[in-house]
Amino acid sequence: MATTTAQITISSSDLLTDALSLTTTATLFDTGTSTGITQAQGPARKTTASTGVVTLFNAAPHTAYGADKAHKVYIKNCSTTRSEYLTVTINAEEIGRLYAGDWMFIPWGAHDTDNDIKVTPSVSTSMTFEYMLFISA
Amino acid sequence: MATTTAQITLTSNDLTSDALSLTTTATLTDTGSKVGVTETSGLSRKITTSVDEYTLLAEADYADDKAHKVYLKHVGTTDSDRVDVKLASQHVGRLYAGDWMFIPWSGGTDIKLTPNVATSVTVEYMVIISS
Repeated sequence: MATTTAQITISSSDLLTDALSLTTTATLFDTGTSTGITQAQGPARKTTASTGVVTLFNAAPHTAYGADKAHKVYIKNCSTTRSEYLTVTINAEEIGRLYAGDWMFIPWGAHDTDNDIKVTPSVSTSMTFEYMLFISA
Repeated sequence: MATTTAQITLTSNDLTSDALSLTTTATLTDTGSKVGVTETSGLSRKITTSVDEYTLLAEADYADDKAHKVYLKHVGTTDSDRVDVKLASQHVGRLYAGDWMFIPWSGGTDIKLTPNVATSVTVEYMVIISS
């Protein structure tokens, strides 16, 4: 098994009167176990030039990833124009908007065949994003 | 305005034959602007002892179509314990013990959690609010 970790640090010296400095690290395991994951896709990079929907991860067929697992998805919007964003959806439900420079890290259950993760660029000019899937058996 | 950052580091020496060492930092700003965020819910902690679904964050409490960010961690140590995360009725994924997530949230849907055990399950969470 491999040892793969995901660490986040959220910090600010002036958002609050008390400095914010939150750090935590997760080790990525197979579903409900303490066995390290052994599969991944990416990191990948894609550039679009339209506002068409892009499927990043297709939940069907389930045999590809496994349903109801502890997969993790990382996505970053590499744009530098602050007003440009990606609308991120799962099964057509909007998760949120990933603006230029923003990233996200989310568990993905691939709960059923419709639970694709898709992004929609806000502009038809060049937009680049990076993404990666950590596959949990 | 404040300067607030969120950094992620993804690391593995043996997941693939080429070592993974990915680090990126986002500066958290108001929606579509370069102005730093000025509001947060603060870091909160919730303990449940039931398998009932509950609303962790209600969309009614936040402005819609914004670049809010949500941090959520399952503060558990039992490998099989988890919370199922939903946006409205849409299943997103499962946070097992020790797992965390960080997502953009438009504020347009409730974020709901369902623990899989009726013993004590603790989560920590924070909303960084974007105007």
